[in-house]
Amino acid sequence: MQLDLKTIEALAPDQASLGAAAKLTKRSNWPRLEAHEQLPLIWGECQGSGSNPYRVAFDTSDHGYKCTCPSRKFPCKHILALAWIGATAADSFARVDQTPDWVNDWLGRRRKPGQSPTPVAASSEGKSIDEASRPAESAPVEDAAAAERREAAQRKRAEDTRSAVSAALDELDQWIADQLRLGLAGFVDASSERCRRIAARLVDLKATALAGRIDELPARLMALRGEERPDAAIRELGKLVLLAKAWRTAPDDAELKRLVSTSETRDQILANPDAVQVESDWEVLGEKIETRRDGLVSHATWLLDLKSPTPRFAVLLDFFPASAGRRSGAFAPGDRFKARLVFYPSRHPLRALVAEWLGDVAPGSWPSFAPDAAGDPLAAYAAFQDGAPWLSDCPIILPAGAIAQDEKDGTWWQAVNDPHGIALPVAGSVDPTLLGLDLTATAALWNGARLELLASQSNMGRLDLS
Amino acid sequence: MNELDQPGLARLRDGWISGGAAFELAPVEWKEAAAASSPDEQERRLLAIAAQALDVALRPAAPKTLKRRPPLPVLALPMLPERLRPPLRAALKYAADARLKTRVATLVASRGFVTHPMDWMPAASDQAAPEVYAPWVDWQAGADGEKHSRREHLTAETWDDFYPAARRIALVDLRRAVPALARTLIETKGARESAEVRLALIELMRFGLGADDVPFLQSLSSDRSGKVREMAGRLLARLGERSYPTDGGTEDPTGELAALIEEGKSGFLRRRTTYAPIKLKSPAQQARRADLFASCYFGDLVARFGKTEPDFIGAWQFGVDDNADRFLVLMVSVSGSDAAVACLADMLVAEGGKLTLLVLQLMLRLDSGRKRLLIRQILNDAQNLHALSLVEGAEAGWLQWGDLANGKTLSALRSAVSGDNDVMKRSAEQYLEAIGFLATAATAEKLIGDVAAAGLPPASPSLSLLRLNAALAGNTTK
Repeated sequence: MQLDLKTIEALAPDQASLGAAAKLTKRSNWPRLEAHEQLPLIWGECQGSGSNPYRVAFDTSDHGYKCTCPSRKFPCKHILALAWIGATAADSFARVDQTPDWVNDWLGRRRKPGQSPTPVAASSEGKSIDEASRPAESAPVEDAAAAERREAAQRKRAEDTRSAVSAALDELDQWIADQLRLGLAGFVDASSERCRRIAARLVDLKATALAGRIDELPARLMALRGEERPDAAIRELGKLVLLAKAWRTAPDDAELKRLVSTSETRDQILANPDAVQVESDWEVLGEKIETRRDGLVSHATWLLDLKSPTPRFAVLLDFFPASAGRRSGAFAPGDRFKARLVFYPSRHPLRALVAEWLGDVAPGSWPSFAPDAAGDPLAAYAAFQDGAPWLSDCPIILPAGAIAQDEKDGTWWQAVNDPHGIALPVAGSVDPTLLGLDLTATAALWNGARLELLASQSNMGRLDLS
Repeated sequence: MNELDQPGLARLRDGWISGGAAFELAPVEWKEAAAASSPDEQERRLLAIAAQALDVALRPAAPKTLKRRPPLPVLALPMLPERLRPPLRAALKYAADARLKTRVATLVASRGFVTHPMDWMPAASDQAAPEVYAPWVDWQAGADGEKHSRREHLTAETWDDFYPAARRIALVDLRRAVPALARTLIETKGARESAEVRLALIELMRFGLGADDVPFLQSLSSDRSGKVREMAGRLLARLGERSYPTDGGTEDPTGELAALIEEGKSGFLRRRTTYAPIKLKSPAQQARRADLFASCYFGDLVARFGKTEPDFIGAWQFGVDDNADRFLVLMVSVSGSDAAVACLADMLVAEGGKLTLLVLQLMLRLDSGRKRLLIRQILNDAQNLHALSLVEGAEAGWLQWGDLANGKTLSALRSAVSGDNDVMKRSAEQYLEAIGFLATAATAEKLIGDVAAAGLPPASPSLSLLRLNAALAGNTTK
């Protein structure tokens, strides 16, 4: 590797980036570090603040780089940390003769700057790798009075937030009553404007998460056929009523706080002794990437626990600004890996973080999950709604079935030999090939109105459907 | 949900849609559960109950007319192993259009595999897809599933058991093996088909075309479809049967065309006859000449000069008028005999340079050996490498390293990928894709190493097809 610390110092956009990179050079932050045997390439996966690890690649010959984090600093701290490890602890990298697909993708798309590395000599001013390496000065010891003041301030902030959120929910209640009074027909037609107005109020009153949910409500309505929208509006608004009531009953409940105001940080979740931890083999079922009206992109990666006797799912949820451009995820549908996940505390734990990545797992079929006693494919959804009726998307495993078409070219999942005669409408359009395949099992998200397909096992192997 | 609640829910729903208080419309049990001091609160509570009822107790009613497609047929070759699907998808992603994607599938089929249907499916109209995909072509075309696509024993009795694409392939096989039997089938079964289907069936007569076919083809001169009559006439012309493609009018288009060709002499010692297009004076004349070349038959034309088809080709002065050269080659392709096509192709390939490209017009009539010769010639002089992807119907996976290294292609590729000229680089990437189809696995692997050493990033998408080819090493059906 042709790397030295001077180069890294010169590449860094500022001293703060170097300082942040220094903290990431601990081996424990990097579940994967690899270097190509012949090519001047190093890459790795760094566990950042998102739920997915960031994928970082660095070309040691021309100092080209790529990181999947949403940082607007170029290069980001992950790149600098990777290069730093490359310069100081080259033995940390496993030598391999194949580049992973995501590195190939990057290599294929990038344009090399020329034959010589990026000139770096003049750009080290104001940055010092020595300074960044120095351990942070220990914080001054806080006296008891100061600690008391700080805690009191925290309590006051929490109380203020609670009061603001309570006021926000009062406004939301009134707004819902107004919509009923004015008529849902008008609400459906003007949902975009009306939702935006109340969402803005909720943001002012610190109910940020709830505001985001309401902002997305019009899009969910418009995804349905006209005749379905009033029912969908009843469902969505009814869930908001339930959520508001639940929060008032238990304003300190972690799940409800997350759904109404703000979410915990990654560190808080990892430090939470009540957070469920599951070490298992996981398969990436699929991804759901949505650009929201508030300018954020939500990137959900759905996972299936391959060792659980009953279907257990996890979702790795990340948000980043749409202005940061298209961002590749850490995992591709169909990937399998062993990992320890930590779930955000919840009635039905779904949202999780990868606490520890423990290696790849060989491809294979899904386990045969025991069917529900009554043979009802939506039994899991009913149980889900019993525990948390304010939630919408519920992951389910459907039994053997097929995709059928109605006369309007809408598509439906239909069970094979189903005593209940159940058919579920599928969201969006599907690949017409799917209409000819026998699906032995299907993983999907059901929201009470539409089925969003994630993946299937079929007579022709695994199908990526997300 | 209690069945009695459903009408109550419907009333509530209707009330809320139009607006106003709906509490009084709710079922009694719901009203009890939702009772509150404030009317707004009552409405909200009812809304929450109704939302849960809609979510859990009611399910979407499936239309009774839901239709399932028949199962996608299992093909005769195994599906590509899972580990090879990522390079396949990369190659398909890089292939710019449907034709190039079909070429990827052809390479895969030549190594004994078919693609996963979610990775690639032939279109319903795809006639260039490898034969093994015929059941999928029929499935795409909407075959109803009550029949089975099968290729064995196409007879008059089993005719209707075959879907169109499968039948087409069975007929081609039969024409190659027992042409008379296939002809009889086309004759007996084709008569009741539409003109479009009849035309497609007659077109298949080109496989295994022989003198025995003459009476049947002549009988088509009274077919009600002009296109069928024209096709039959061309096939007869290929067999040396002279005819005049006009409908018995007084014009003599072949004579008119012959008048646009000048007979001359060349050579000092051994004077030999030459034929060259006369110089035309106006665009109208050029258009007329183009029409005549397109509508007359080659056999009729050479008969006017009292020559055999190969002799006439040997005497044609290529290079005098590029358009006339192109029209003549097209004419031979459409109505020349097999001997004329072979003679013309050999001559043009031997000439090299831009004349070689005229052979591309003959592709449908060339055997695989001549196609390989053409490709080798293109690679040898490396002047027209873009033509590699225009060679239709070329076989996959036969090109040896020597075919590249002995000519100028390899050095041209190295120079393009190592240089700074983006246009040349992009062109080289297209050539690499074309070679990715033609090369053996060993050649593909060696070429990847070679161009990577010359400066092309090893992970460049333009190497996708070469990588797939190399990964398919050890699987060759041909």
